[in-house]
Amino acid sequence: ECGHISLSAPIVRLGDSITASCVINQNCSRPGLDSQILWKLGAELQPGGRQQRLPDGTQESTITLPHFNHTQAFLSCCLTWGNSLQILDQAELRAGYPPAVPHNLSCLMNLTTYSLTCQWEPGPETHLPTSFTLKSFQSCQTQKDSISDCVAEDGQSHCSILRKHLTLYQKMGIRVQAENALGTSVSPQLCLDPMDVVKLEPPMLWTVDPSHEAAPPQPGCLQLHWEPWKPSLHMSQKCELRHQPQLGDANWTLEGPLPAETLQYELCGLLPATAYTLQMRCVRWPLPGHWSNWSPNLKLRTTEQVPI
Amino acid sequence: PLDPASSLPQSFLLKCLEQVRKIQSDGAALQEKLCATYKLCHPEELVLLGHSLGIPRTPLSGCPSQALQLTACLSQLHSGLFLYQGLLQALAGVSPELAPTVDMLQLDVANFATTVWQQMEDLGVAPALQPTQGTMPTFTSAFQRRAGGVLVTSHLQSFLKLAYRVLRYLAQP
Repeated sequence: ECGHISLSAPIVRLGDSITASCVINQNCSRPGLDSQILWKLGAELQPGGRQQRLPDGTQESTITLPHFNHTQAFLSCCLTWGNSLQILDQAELRAGYPPAVPHNLSCLMNLTTYSLTCQWEPGPETHLPTSFTLKSFQSCQTQKDSISDCVAEDGQSHCSILRKHLTLYQKMGIRVQAENALGTSVSPQLCLDPMDVVKLEPPMLWTVDPSHEAAPPQPGCLQLHWEPWKPSLHMSQKCELRHQPQLGDANWTLEGPLPAETLQYELCGLLPATAYTLQMRCVRWPLPGHWSNWSPNLKLRTTEQVPI
Repeated sequence: PLDPASSLPQSFLLKCLEQVRKIQSDGAALQEKLCATYKLCHPEELVLLGHSLGIPRTPLSGCPSQALQLTACLSQLHSGLFLYQGLLQALAGVSPELAPTVDMLQLDVANFATTVWQQMEDLGVAPALQPTQGTMPTFTSAFQRRAGGVLVTSHLQSFLKLAYRVLRYLAQP
């Protein structure tokens, strides 16, 4: 090894100083002649190297870069050799920031995969490889009974805790920890029962099949029926229906609360002979939960008013 | 003795009802798969095998609607769930097609047992020590695990049917 660079720290905060030293061993310098050690940062020569010959005959140069404000750069230790510059060693320098405290931690329980997906805001760019880990505990009061860590994939601000790690219907404590070479930070704790943050998928909304034995709808009425999202059948829910005539920029009208399931519902008080857009959503109730999104549009037309 | 109606929070009862419905649906899914895949559709055809394997049933006799004794009822409900949790764990190694369904069922039963135990602790009627699982049947063949699955699920569904009735009675306003 001709030359070897050693650094005060390979990673520093942006703007801090970095000190490097390079030792050239004897078999790479000509006996009796002092070779000049030069430094390059990226492609640029760096003045200010302090060179000395060590008792064992090797030569050493030390340089301090006072305010290192590159997020990444290569520092090379070079030797003048005839009229060429020989690179003897190279070190990668990195600079950035310690992670800020992650914030806006929130979670949703997915009833298809039965996993708890949590997401958060990572905070400002650190310019350094930063890992995010969900730390969860069986209780909100103590940090014993920890659940296995959920490490987010690189660059992702979410992670999903698998069903087998969850005790449904019990409160658990969740934090997100951010860590890089310059430090660690932990979010405030979120205390929740996974089942209380279930987000339902919308119900299925249909019109009643005209061939069905039921009487045809009255003028200004529509006959509907709906079913909750299948994976949520075991949950007591309430729903809302909204409808809007397709006339200019008419507003939505809200109907609810409605039961989670009904074979036939007659919606009246509408304009006759008018096309309507209808949507429905449901929420776990009376136990806590999140409203589903609105269902896809159902477009129906009310019947004509019979002339009197 | 605790007065049943007033001492149980409504949210606890609503959660229990929801958990029972989920476990019943998990159980039905497992029964459907056992029937469709292995033609094991009738637990009554496996009674003799059940006896020889020593698959226990658990009563819920402490929960009659007349003069319901809440502590005894909750304790029996928990013991039953704890037993079924163990029986389902004993089915480990059942075929790969059934394993996810058995795992989900076992997790849901275990979580329901935790819900009941937590409530007993909140009421101050939980025993000092957590129960420990008794000896479980040993299933020595793939067939025995499948047949065991049919019997355990069938017994569990009967147990849950009774539990649901009791919980509905307790939850009525």
